[in-house]
Amino acid sequence: MLAPVDGSSRRADAVPIEVSGLNKRFGAIQAVSDLSFTVAPGRITGFLGPNGAGKTTTLRILLGLVHATSGTATIGGRRYQDIERPLRSVGALLESTSFHPARRARDHLRMCAIAAAIKTTRVDEVLELVGLKDAGRRRAGGYSLGMRQRLGLAAALLGDPPVLILDEPANGLDPQGIAWLREFLRYLAGQGHTVLVSSHLLAEMAQTVDDVVIIAGGRVRAAGPLSGLLSQIRSSMRVRTPEVDRLLGVLAAAHWDSRRLAHDLVVVEGVTPDQLGPVLARSQIVVYELVNERTDLESVFLSLTGSETPSATAVPGP
Amino acid sequence: MIRGVRAELFKLRTAPGPWVVLGAALLFTALGIVVVFLVSHAGVNGRHHVSFVALTSQYRLRRLVAAGFAVGGVWMSAVVGVLCVTGEYRHKIMTTSMLVEPRRWRLLTEKAIASLIWGLGIAVASLLLVGAMGIPLLKTQGGSVSALFNQAGPVLPGFFAAFALLALFGAGLGTLIKNQIAAVVTILAITFIIEPVFDGIFPNVGRWLPYAASAAVAGDIAPAAERVYLLSWWLATIVLAAWGLVPIVVGYFTTFRKDVT
Repeated sequence: MLAPVDGSSRRADAVPIEVSGLNKRFGAIQAVSDLSFTVAPGRITGFLGPNGAGKTTTLRILLGLVHATSGTATIGGRRYQDIERPLRSVGALLESTSFHPARRARDHLRMCAIAAAIKTTRVDEVLELVGLKDAGRRRAGGYSLGMRQRLGLAAALLGDPPVLILDEPANGLDPQGIAWLREFLRYLAGQGHTVLVSSHLLAEMAQTVDDVVIIAGGRVRAAGPLSGLLSQIRSSMRVRTPEVDRLLGVLAAAHWDSRRLAHDLVVVEGVTPDQLGPVLARSQIVVYELVNERTDLESVFLSLTGSETPSATAVPGP
Repeated sequence: MIRGVRAELFKLRTAPGPWVVLGAALLFTALGIVVVFLVSHAGVNGRHHVSFVALTSQYRLRRLVAAGFAVGGVWMSAVVGVLCVTGEYRHKIMTTSMLVEPRRWRLLTEKAIASLIWGLGIAVASLLLVGAMGIPLLKTQGGSVSALFNQAGPVLPGFFAAFALLALFGAGLGTLIKNQIAAVVTILAITFIIEPVFDGIFPNVGRWLPYAASAAVAGDIAPAAERVYLLSWWLATIVLAAWGLVPIVVGYFTTFRKDVT
C-alpha cells in the first residue's frame, strides 16, 4: 500500500514554502500577526498551535482561499493563485467533509482529475494508495470519518505534487491508519516532497515531524528542527520523599534549582537521573518515587503556548 | 477553460439534484401536453369542436411546446443554475473547487457555461418528450407529422435560447445568494408571485422581468396574446442575458471573491 505510484527516485522539483510578514485581520480580530517561517523540501514540518492560534487561517492563505491583509505566503516563490494547474504542484487536505454526500468517491476524484488534466487511471492509483480501492464506488456520504480522511488524502495526492499541505490529516484515523500515514509522510519526505502538517496530536507529531513551527495568538513562538527545540528545554526530576526538608538542603548545597510541590514532593530542575541518583544515595535520603520528567513535544508546546508574551524562539539546528 | 467546464458538467452529472430538476421539468412538460390534449379532446365531444389536430395545426407545435414551457419546464432550467453554484457552498465542495481552480473569475465562468449547457440539455429532453407524447397523440387523431416537423425551424432557436439564458440567470442568482434554499425560493417567488403581480398591475414593467423576457425570447412559442405586450425577441434576449450576467458580475465582487473560511 505504501509503494509509490510512479517510480521511487527522489524528486528533482524541490519546492519550499515561504511565509513572510503575514498578517490577517477579520474585523476586530487579528488572526495572524507578522507570521514568518519557511518549510524546507525533503522534511516534514509540523505546524502546531492551540485552537484559534491561526493555523487554519495561515494554511488557507497559503492555498489562496483567504486573502492576506499584508505579507506574502508563497509556494516555490509563487502565490497559489498564480500556479498553473495547482493540483500538480500542491496537494492539500483541509476538511474531511468536503464531499458531496451522494457522489461516489471515485467520481469526486474524477471531477478533480478532469479539471486538472490528470489521467483517470491516476484516480484508481491513488484510491489504491490510500486503501480505498474497494470502496471507491461507494458514495462519500456513507464513509466513516477515517475513510473520508483517506479520500481527502487521495485528492491531495492526485496530481503527484511536490508539496503537501495537510490540516489535521490524522483526524478520525485508527491506530493502523495513523501509523500508515506517518510512514507514508516519511516516505514522501524522503523522496524530496515538502510536507507541512498541522495537528493537535502532539505525541504523533513528535514521531513524525523533522521541523516544527509553533504558533499561538497568531504569532510564531518557535520554529526550527524539533531536536533543537527539545534540547533547549531543561529536563527535570520529580522526587517523592518523607525527608523533604533534608532533600531541599542537599539540593541547595549542590546548587540545583528545586521547587516543593507538596509536603512530600519536590521537583528538581535541570538534572538527569544519572546526576541526581548518586547524590541521593550519598545523602542516604529515603526515596519513595523518582520520576524523570521527560522533555517531550507536549511540554515544549505547553511551555511555549501557555505564555501570553509573544516572543519567538529561534531554535538551533540539529 | 474547456476542462473546467467539463469538470463542472461532470459535477452536475454525478449529483442527484440536477437530475431531480430535469425529472421535474419533464413532469411539468408532460402535464402540460396532457392538459392540452384533454382540453382539445373534450372539445371534440363538447360544444367547441376543437380537435387536437386542429389545435396543433392552428397553434402549431409552438402551443404544445408552450404548454410545458409555460407550466414550469423553463424555470427548472434556472433552478439548475442555482444548484450549480449554491450546491458547492451547501456541501462545502467550494473549497475543493477553488483548490482545483484558484482563479475565481475563471471558476465562476466555467460554472455559468456549465449551467447554460445543462439548461440546453433540459430543453432537448423536454423537446424529445413533446415529440414522444405529442406525435402519437397527433397520429391518433389523423394529424400530419411532417407538418409538425416543418414547424420546428421558427420554434426551436428561441426555445433553446430561453432555457439556456434562464439557466444563466439561475447561476447569477446563486452567485448572489449563497444559501441554496433561499436562492431556489427566490426563483419560485419571482416566477409565481412577483412577475404575475407586475404582469397584472404594471405590464410595462413586467415585460422586462426574466420570465416574461424568456417568453419573448421564445418568440413563436409565446401565445399571440402575450406577444402583444412582450419585448421583441432580440431585445428580450439582451435583457435576459443581462438578468444572468449582471448578478454574476455583482455576485463575483460581493460574494464569490470573499474569503472561504
